Amino acid sequence: MGGGLNRTRAVAANTFRESVRERVLYNLVFFAILMTLAGLLLGQLSVRQDEKILKDIGLGAMDLFGTVIAVFIGTGLVSKEIERRSLYPLLAKPLSRGEFFLGKFAGLGFTLLVNLAVMLLGLLLTLIATGRRPDAGLLTAVYPIFLGLLLTVAFAMLFSTLTTATLAVVLTVGVVLVGRFADVIRGMREVAPGVPQPIVNALFAIVPNFANFDFKSRVAYGEVVSAGVLGWVTLYAAAWTLIVLGLGLASFRARDFR
Amino acid sequence: MSLRLALLLLLVAPLVPLSQRRIDGLVGGFRAQEDVLYFWSGEHVKRLVPGFESLAADLYWLRTVQYFGGQRLFAKGKDFELLRPLIDITTTLDPRLEIAYRYGAVFLSEPPPLGAGKPSEGVEVLERGVAALPESWRLRQDLAFFHYIFLNDAETAARVLLAAAEIPGAAFWLRTMAADLAASGGNREDSRRMWRQMFDQAEEGIIRENARLRLQILDSLDLADAIAGAVAEFERREGRRPARLTELQAAGLWRRPLVDLANVPYCYDVGTGRVFIQEASPMWRPQFSPGGNR
Repeated sequence: MGGGLNRTRAVAANTFRESVRERVLYNLVFFAILMTLAGLLLGQLSVRQDEKILKDIGLGAMDLFGTVIAVFIGTGLVSKEIERRSLYPLLAKPLSRGEFFLGKFAGLGFTLLVNLAVMLLGLLLTLIATGRRPDAGLLTAVYPIFLGLLLTVAFAMLFSTLTTATLAVVLTVGVVLVGRFADVIRGMREVAPGVPQPIVNALFAIVPNFANFDFKSRVAYGEVVSAGVLGWVTLYAAAWTLIVLGLGLASFRARDFR
Repeated sequence: MSLRLALLLLLVAPLVPLSQRRIDGLVGGFRAQEDVLYFWSGEHVKRLVPGFESLAADLYWLRTVQYFGGQRLFAKGKDFELLRPLIDITTTLDPRLEIAYRYGAVFLSEPPPLGAGKPSEGVEVLERGVAALPESWRLRQDLAFFHYIFLNDAETAARVLLAAAEIPGAAFWLRTMAADLAASGGNREDSRRMWRQMFDQAEEGIIRENARLRLQILDSLDLADAIAGAVAEFERREGRRPARLTELQAAGLWRRPLVDLANVPYCYDVGTGRVFIQEASPMWRPQFSPGGNR
């Protein structure tokens, strides 16, 4: 058990190092420039809305950059190892496919966490530099973003075990987009009243509702997101991530690499 | 980098500022924003940016402010055609962006060249805001002010002010202002109180400047009335009206300069004895002259 955990941790650490080596965290430089420019310009342009807009930009960038990293790196986590044929010697070692798969997931998850943490720090510093109060409430928007990114990585890994890296990117982006439009599915009968309610319910249930992870606007307006809400969102994310990771693992285990 | 390439870059680089200067010289350094809006429906934009509606609203708001400033300062026609759709898109994307309703209404309502001169649309924007943010007494206060100042509807203004006064946390003076408006049907003093409130509530910027200007206009109108009073006094004493306003100074009936707050001399109609603000003055407003200034 302990050995398995150590091996998973080793894969995760290696994945983190690899993603740093792939200059994933370069987006932080762009983020820093974005926040600096926003901090300098918004006071003059936005008419009294600079704090809200700074938070919107900061949180939006975290969500957007995070999603891009989760999709593009996530789909390459497994497929690149296969393409480069580096997976075969790895699996020949005392390393199970499960440990490899979960280690990759954990490694990218940690990369995203570091990325978000640094960006959050940047946003807080920008707020302070522009004479605003650092808002601890921002954490209640960043945490659900992180949960959504973990789910995105899980989908990316699932699709990368099923198909080519390019198609996996397309499919993952599709799922994320459909998930962000989940409210359209829920309100489908408003535009198509003929659709039976059970079908609407079924469709809504099988689509991950990424809107559940979006508290950016509420937090930017200074609203408090309760611990209860965050708890349920965590449970929702955990359930979906476990299901998708489980399916991905099953698919990865079933693949014949000969 | 080879020496030849470096030399080529050095030769080409100055062409950038040179051509920019020529372009600015030909078409102007500051140009009004191009009148193009690719999406006219906030709902469509909303569907394009799932999860980023608030950020998109910020961008549209920045564009609204820039468009308004560009039209106001640089456009020849100043038709503000895109102003309303920009405000509508912004508030559809983020219905809680109170500033977009408040400032948007001012941008729309102020008469040209300061604004779009569409006060009924300004009132519509505020009504949308009141529906979206029913707990905001400031939006209802603005709605009442706009009904009175721009639509000359004191009765509706008083009713809306009373509704605003019912909202928890509302300013105490809303109720008395509503009562005064209902009783008087509206006068210059009511206008002054409203603009004073807007001035006090606004931070430095377009709205505060606008309120400051409005207060100066009201002061200029007061001055015009006072000079007209001196004309009447002159007529009572001399049995005739002064041929020029300067006669008032010679007669010791007026000691201050005969100019408005923008230092533009007042107009004087010797036939009626009326004194009013010159059309060339920044203090001039179509509804104020030469009759019933309020």
